[in-house]
Amino acid sequence: MAVTVTNKKAVRKPEKKRKLTWAVLKSQQQLIWMSVPLTLYIILFAYVPVWGWTMAFQNYKPARSFSQQDWVGFKQFKFLFTDDDFMRVLRNTLGMSIINLVLGFVTAIVLALLLNEIRKVIWKRTVQTISYLPHFLSWVIVTGIVATSLASDGIVNDLLMKLHLIKEPILWLSEGKYFWGIVGASHVWKEVGWNTIIYLAAMASIDPALYEAAEMDGASRYRKMLHVTLPGIKSTIVILLIMSIGHILDAGFEVQYLLGNGLVVDWAETIDIFVLKYGIAQGNYSLATAGGIFKTVVSVALLLVANWTAKRLGEERLL
Amino acid sequence: MGGRFKPLVRLSILMAMTFSVVLSGCGGSKDNSADNGSSSTGQTATGSSSDGKVEPFNVSVFIGEAGQQPTPDNKIYKKIKDETGATFNFEFLAGDINQKLGVMIAGSDYPDLMTGNTKLTAAGAYIPLEDLIEKYAPNLKKHYEKYWNMMKDPNDGHIYILPNYGVYNGKLNSTWYSGPAFWVQKDVLAEAGYPKVKTLDEYFDLIAKYKAKHPTIDGSPTIGFEILNYDWKNWGLFNPPQHLIGHPNDGGVVVNNGVAEIFADKDYAKQYYQKLNQMNEQGLIDKETFVQNFDQYLAKLSSGTVLGMFDQHWNFQNAENSLITQKKFNRTYVGLPLVYDTSTKDYYRDRAVLNLNNGFGISVNAKDPVKIIKLLDTLITEDWQKTFSWGIEGEDYIVNDQGRFMRTQEQRDKQSDGTWKLANKADALFGNLPKIEGSFSDGNSTDAAAQPEEYKAGLNDYDKKFLEAYGFDSYVDFFSEPPENPIYYPAWSIDLVEGSPAKVANTKLNDLSTKYLPKAVLANPSDFDSVWNEYTSQIHKVDVKAYEDKINEQIKWRIDNWSK
Repeated sequence: MAVTVTNKKAVRKPEKKRKLTWAVLKSQQQLIWMSVPLTLYIILFAYVPVWGWTMAFQNYKPARSFSQQDWVGFKQFKFLFTDDDFMRVLRNTLGMSIINLVLGFVTAIVLALLLNEIRKVIWKRTVQTISYLPHFLSWVIVTGIVATSLASDGIVNDLLMKLHLIKEPILWLSEGKYFWGIVGASHVWKEVGWNTIIYLAAMASIDPALYEAAEMDGASRYRKMLHVTLPGIKSTIVILLIMSIGHILDAGFEVQYLLGNGLVVDWAETIDIFVLKYGIAQGNYSLATAGGIFKTVVSVALLLVANWTAKRLGEERLL
Repeated sequence: MGGRFKPLVRLSILMAMTFSVVLSGCGGSKDNSADNGSSSTGQTATGSSSDGKVEPFNVSVFIGEAGQQPTPDNKIYKKIKDETGATFNFEFLAGDINQKLGVMIAGSDYPDLMTGNTKLTAAGAYIPLEDLIEKYAPNLKKHYEKYWNMMKDPNDGHIYILPNYGVYNGKLNSTWYSGPAFWVQKDVLAEAGYPKVKTLDEYFDLIAKYKAKHPTIDGSPTIGFEILNYDWKNWGLFNPPQHLIGHPNDGGVVVNNGVAEIFADKDYAKQYYQKLNQMNEQGLIDKETFVQNFDQYLAKLSSGTVLGMFDQHWNFQNAENSLITQKKFNRTYVGLPLVYDTSTKDYYRDRAVLNLNNGFGISVNAKDPVKIIKLLDTLITEDWQKTFSWGIEGEDYIVNDQGRFMRTQEQRDKQSDGTWKLANKADALFGNLPKIEGSFSDGNSTDAAAQPEEYKAGLNDYDKKFLEAYGFDSYVDFFSEPPENPIYYPAWSIDLVEGSPAKVANTKLNDLSTKYLPKAVLANPSDFDSVWNEYTSQIHKVDVKAYEDKINEQIKWRIDNWSK
């Protein structure tokens, strides 16, 4: 991405579109040279690996050369799409992803708005630091914490019992209906502080004159939030939303893998776990690749749709 | 000024970083290739000039499980270096084995020696060993003579891996049972007056009575029965039915007259899970049992509050060690070979089998396989085997007047000290080497713990009294003497071949059991039948035939090829 940006800047600098001539190239040669390593990087790590997609159409065996592989056409995709479990894991992936997306956006924006209203810098910094620290924990640790707090003698059950909301401990991790919620809540706990950073940055760039003007007009704090702050960060929200929609099939892997168990498997298995179980764990790298391709194609398609919608609505776009 | 300057600085830092990554990548690989080159020339040179003189050489080793590096001055490795010239560079598994192997295979990046794995075999990572052994390794040839045909890979008939366990010589003394059983806390038996427990019903009765009498142990609520089903450790839930009808551990199948069939959907399986369902209704089964992970399971066992579980001994050994450290001897476990009714003979304990696909294989990247096979051939001799298992005479063990090996209490204590072992034992290597098991030619046991005098001397008072009450010499005596193994045994070691319909069916069956069995156990007793019927109808949708056919084909193959 960095490359395209620098390239564009280099070409756009003149006001009118200039023809690409040797003279132009020469005059911009420093810029072009600067972009070479990054372009190489992108080609090497983002485009060359796409060659590996050929594996999805083979019955790939390691240690055989390319010409020795069996070509099997769409067999791997057929296995994927005709498997009974696939629809289930797709549903789980989308379900958890959408929950994460919605919860993630709402909580991050709300927290950012609240933080933005805090006038005491020390207090604001403290809250911000505390809320984004969990981001640096790995999921292995987070799931350990979650499992311990949700155990029958864990803090969640203790609290609910003390508040007399429940009579006896609930085994949260043994009921499928709670699983998506638990995953969503863990995501919020872990990521909310981190996600606010970008909104806070966007809010910082809002012209203070707008607030002053609103104040002159007698706007309350709440009104200012609604009519100045939110519109001010709207473009940031839209861009982030488009980017997240592209990742909608990445509902995560570690959380579900580490928190899941036999009792909730119908709600816990995601595409990634399915691919691990039937692809990589079986030495069937072709199936794993086919799963990867499926995810990529869907992601690109969703990204384009979201981008197009944003364009139609007259919003900021990514592409 | 800062405004202009910053983006430039940032860009240049970014570029510098990109470059350094690219460069370090290149540099690393260059170094490696240079290293390989030099070591290869070094090895061929020593190879040609060896014979008689000890010349140093390096062997890189991949161990497919987590472990700790021995200390640099480890006395056993030093002895190996002094006498054979070999220095070992170990790489232990960190993280997930499949992931690691995937990376190794993708890059054909193999060290000289690797522990056995079917994925590596399938990728052609090992060299065939039979000719090398015939030519250069008379001791190994003699060691494996009886097992030669079994070691051959069913797919192409070559020997790739040298099994690390299962080759027996002389009289086999066994004092420790590491396999599957229904385990019960010693105190439960002691309090009931040391009864002989044979059936599942008696077992749960004892547990129920004990739990009723002692609702808490050391202040924590008593847990009647634990069932571990976490990740690949699924036997606690899956395996009991086959043992309860008097069959040995064949994994997911029961073999009758050489014909295998799955047992998950059979009535005797239903009987077991129905019993669990009733026990759950009585509150004997831990509520969290299906939600817990392995660490939580071990923690519960280590606390001494768990009265019983079905497991393999080696799997919860750490928990038991912790109980011993806490001096809670009455909370440690006895394995019981339970059956449905007393007319069935128990078949939990089996004769050790050749540990196929485990042990070392030499990789295709090894520069001088001859040197390595000669080294392995040296290490299988009795003197070296004694050094590995007993240690160094005078330091780690003593020989008494009758020529029997013994240890003093101090030496015995050291053997359970992890830090001491890193400096004084070569366990990482020895665990995977071909080894003599049973007894040495002088009659001493190859394993210190199995030396009867040693075992007795090492027992604590509680266990001495406990065994006396039963009139047994060791806890192994709770099990029936195992009959001769069927030739194909065990079916669980059959390689289903990665990615085959049989393997996919096996994965599906495991998925179904993981999903439905907990449901069935936790169900309201009146709903049990409906959950069970749903489970079996789901099983019948799976390509069970592919799975059974593959196993039967391999059983037949083993009978044809392994018979003498």
